[in-house]
Amino acid sequence: MLIVFSQDQEEIDLSSEYKNLFNISHFSDFSVWEKERIIPSAFIIQGKDKHYISTILGKVRKDSEFFASLCFITDSAFPYDDFMLDGQLPQPTDLREEINQFDNLLKSLKSNETYITHQGRLIKYFWLRPDFVLQPYHDWQHARFYRYPLLEALSLDKSDSFEWLRNLANSKIIDPILLIDRQRECTDCRSSHLSFVDVCPNCLSIDIEMQASLHCFTCGCVDVQEKFLHSGTLICPKCHTQLRHIGSDYDRPIENYRCNSCSQSFVEGEVQVRCAMCEKEMESSELIQNEIRNWRLSDKGRTIAFRGEVFDLSSGFDQLNFISRELFIHDLDWMMVTSRRYPNVNFSLFGIYFANLPELVELFNHARLLQMLESFAQQLRSLLRTPDLSTRTAENMLWLLLPNTDEQGLFGFHKRIEGSMKLLLEQSEHKLDFRFISISSQKLSSKENAELLLARLYGELL
Amino acid sequence: MESLNQAWYLFQATLSRYQDFQYVFMLIPFVLFFELPLYFINWMSAFRYLIKNAIEAPLTLHYFPRVTCAITCYAEGKAVQSTVISLLEQIYPGHIEIIAMVDGVKKNQATYHALVELAPLVSQYPKRSLVIIPKFQRGGRVSSLNAGLSRAQGEIFLALDGDTSFDNQMIHYAAAHFRNPDMVAVTGPMRVRNARKTIMTRLQNLEYMLTMQVGKLGFAKLGVINNVPGAFGIFRKSFLQQVGGWNTGTAEDLDLTLRIKQYYKRYPHLQIEFEPGAVSHTDVPESLIDFLKQRLRWDGDLWYIYSNKHKYGISASMMGWKNLIFLLWYGILFQIVMPFSIVLYTIYIAVKLPLYAFLLSMTLVYAFYFCLITIQYILYLIFITDRRKEDCNAIFILPIYPIFQFISRVWSALAILNQIINKGHLDSAMAPLWVLQKGKQ
Repeated sequence: MLIVFSQDQEEIDLSSEYKNLFNISHFSDFSVWEKERIIPSAFIIQGKDKHYISTILGKVRKDSEFFASLCFITDSAFPYDDFMLDGQLPQPTDLREEINQFDNLLKSLKSNETYITHQGRLIKYFWLRPDFVLQPYHDWQHARFYRYPLLEALSLDKSDSFEWLRNLANSKIIDPILLIDRQRECTDCRSSHLSFVDVCPNCLSIDIEMQASLHCFTCGCVDVQEKFLHSGTLICPKCHTQLRHIGSDYDRPIENYRCNSCSQSFVEGEVQVRCAMCEKEMESSELIQNEIRNWRLSDKGRTIAFRGEVFDLSSGFDQLNFISRELFIHDLDWMMVTSRRYPNVNFSLFGIYFANLPELVELFNHARLLQMLESFAQQLRSLLRTPDLSTRTAENMLWLLLPNTDEQGLFGFHKRIEGSMKLLLEQSEHKLDFRFISISSQKLSSKENAELLLARLYGELL
Repeated sequence: MESLNQAWYLFQATLSRYQDFQYVFMLIPFVLFFELPLYFINWMSAFRYLIKNAIEAPLTLHYFPRVTCAITCYAEGKAVQSTVISLLEQIYPGHIEIIAMVDGVKKNQATYHALVELAPLVSQYPKRSLVIIPKFQRGGRVSSLNAGLSRAQGEIFLALDGDTSFDNQMIHYAAAHFRNPDMVAVTGPMRVRNARKTIMTRLQNLEYMLTMQVGKLGFAKLGVINNVPGAFGIFRKSFLQQVGGWNTGTAEDLDLTLRIKQYYKRYPHLQIEFEPGAVSHTDVPESLIDFLKQRLRWDGDLWYIYSNKHKYGISASMMGWKNLIFLLWYGILFQIVMPFSIVLYTIYIAVKLPLYAFLLSMTLVYAFYFCLITIQYILYLIFITDRRKEDCNAIFILPIYPIFQFISRVWSALAILNQIINKGHLDSAMAPLWVLQKGKQ
């Protein structure tokens, strides 16, 4: 069913070819369609009124159910705007093809509640348009100069597009393609409407001017060029020497600017920035850099689209109370230094590596694997003592730092952890590939530091 | 004193004994007195100008045409920056367009980059512009100058060297002459920038003062200027285009001057002027070897130009009687014949006279030249110099100067011989051989 919106009823009808191929229903207003909610194959917006087109388009993209539907316009003169539209209405056969492709993609999409969230909506929109590129739209009236109209519509205007984009990029759901612009923004309100004024570095007055000055070699007098000029010759106002040749009689001092309020001469003014939106003043070095890019759906985003959920280990090991990697390395360093100085202080380092988690997701479903890992984490947690530290350097690489554990203690720990692993192995039908590595402080070389040690051990595991 | 007297008597006695020596001795005044009138006329002309200049009130008119400065660059490197900066610094209200032609730019990257570095500085000066023409195929000075000429937009065209810089009133003084529609070319004094470096440069400094500053001034006022130097020539562009620009071959500056002069008979109102206020500063060779190499080229080129290129141009029907006589006197006799007569004469008396007599006559010649130079130098210091204090330093070099002059005259004879026998004009650093061979042989 094609849903056609047109402002005037007299609008020329779609040609009969469309009528032969599709069912068509006409609406003049979005609210009328909303009442009936006829399921669309595609929306078609007729007319030349830009405002009308963008209002309807905006409402379609904000719709809770059909936000990702194909949307075409009929007016060839309309400035084609690929931010939310799918372009001009194609020929009937092409349209048929496009709708078929769209429906196929829709079927392959894992349907669950994910698409209630903004993120899910975005992924769905991308998934249904395989070559879609999220483009920024330059709008000088906008506080930040660039907008992503699609993001605004899909988030129902609730979130800041840039903040959302940053989160999406951080969770690797979208990949950047091209850097389009790099701009500076106000530290306070993130507006890009900034004005730059150069001021005197001494008194910060803006009353400065460029001034050509000369420096006489004979007496060292430095003054404004005008004071030297006498009927076409340069004559020093102090010693009355005629200055003929630059480099041998005179030169130009590097100070080219003069402040009219404090009389200071200087090489370059200081640049002050004033935000045109919030009127706050700041220094140019404080400004926030914002990089404007265009984006496409990443592999991870596509995985989410057909699996329904992103595969993320982090939740499985949540019970382990990881400390940050930096802190772990810092503590390990400290332990290494201490044990070198005091031989009676010992410790052990233990690494657990899961080699094939992504393949396991194919075998079991995601929820079951997560459950398995959670129970493993629970057991691991019961093995750890209070002063033991743990961290994760990759999604599938865990590190445990066991203080006051010598070689024998490490051996015991190894046995216990293998025992708890047995259960996990059985649960995974012996498909889980895990590897251990450990070292005790007695065996450490004196040249290594924590960073190198972790890298070496990780290398041995691979 | 007594021994000197004795020597003098002995000298006289020798002369009276060998009667034919008296005849030979006549040669000295012959050579000397050919030179003296030249100096005399030159000085008289210079004085006439100085008096005229002192009486006439200076006239500043609103005439500031667009000026193009074409700089021929080769391997100058960073030194080219001071040339461009001295042009940017000109106190001249009109537009100054600077065109820098870098010949063989692949080899001379340093020069090219030195010029590119200047671009931001140029924008700070109002009414100044810089165009850089990188020439990938090395074509020599002539090809650079003609390339600059074809790109020039100014009414006045300055042909300048990349190792020459200028006083900040140079263009102001030079351009004013072109208000006179008959003025086709102007040149000005060239001073030695590296005078304090070595004895060689000090000697050349004095030479430039006396020949460039005094000599050119006097000759120009007589309307017989011998050469508009390639490192510092100022031309009316339309006339330069009329003449056809520079011609291939060495000594393209002398060639151009002669070609301009060949218009004189037909258009007697044309003028070449020397402007003492348009001062340029150039580097001269610092070692004796480099100096001799330079002069080998310069003096050899004289023969090439006079005997090959302008064999038929040197005639009264082309350049008028005044210029012909001057050219025969100064160009041919003074610059070409005299070096040979000096060498032959010296060899002759060295062989014929007893040693003491030879030494004595050489001493006399030395004393004569020393006096001549000293008088000229003092006159120069009193009347002409614009940097009196600086030029006073040259006084210490005066005693050696006649020897320097003698050596350079002898060398000049060798250079001309080299040109006649070896075709030395084809061995020039100014252009590649394949370009030089295209010139008239």
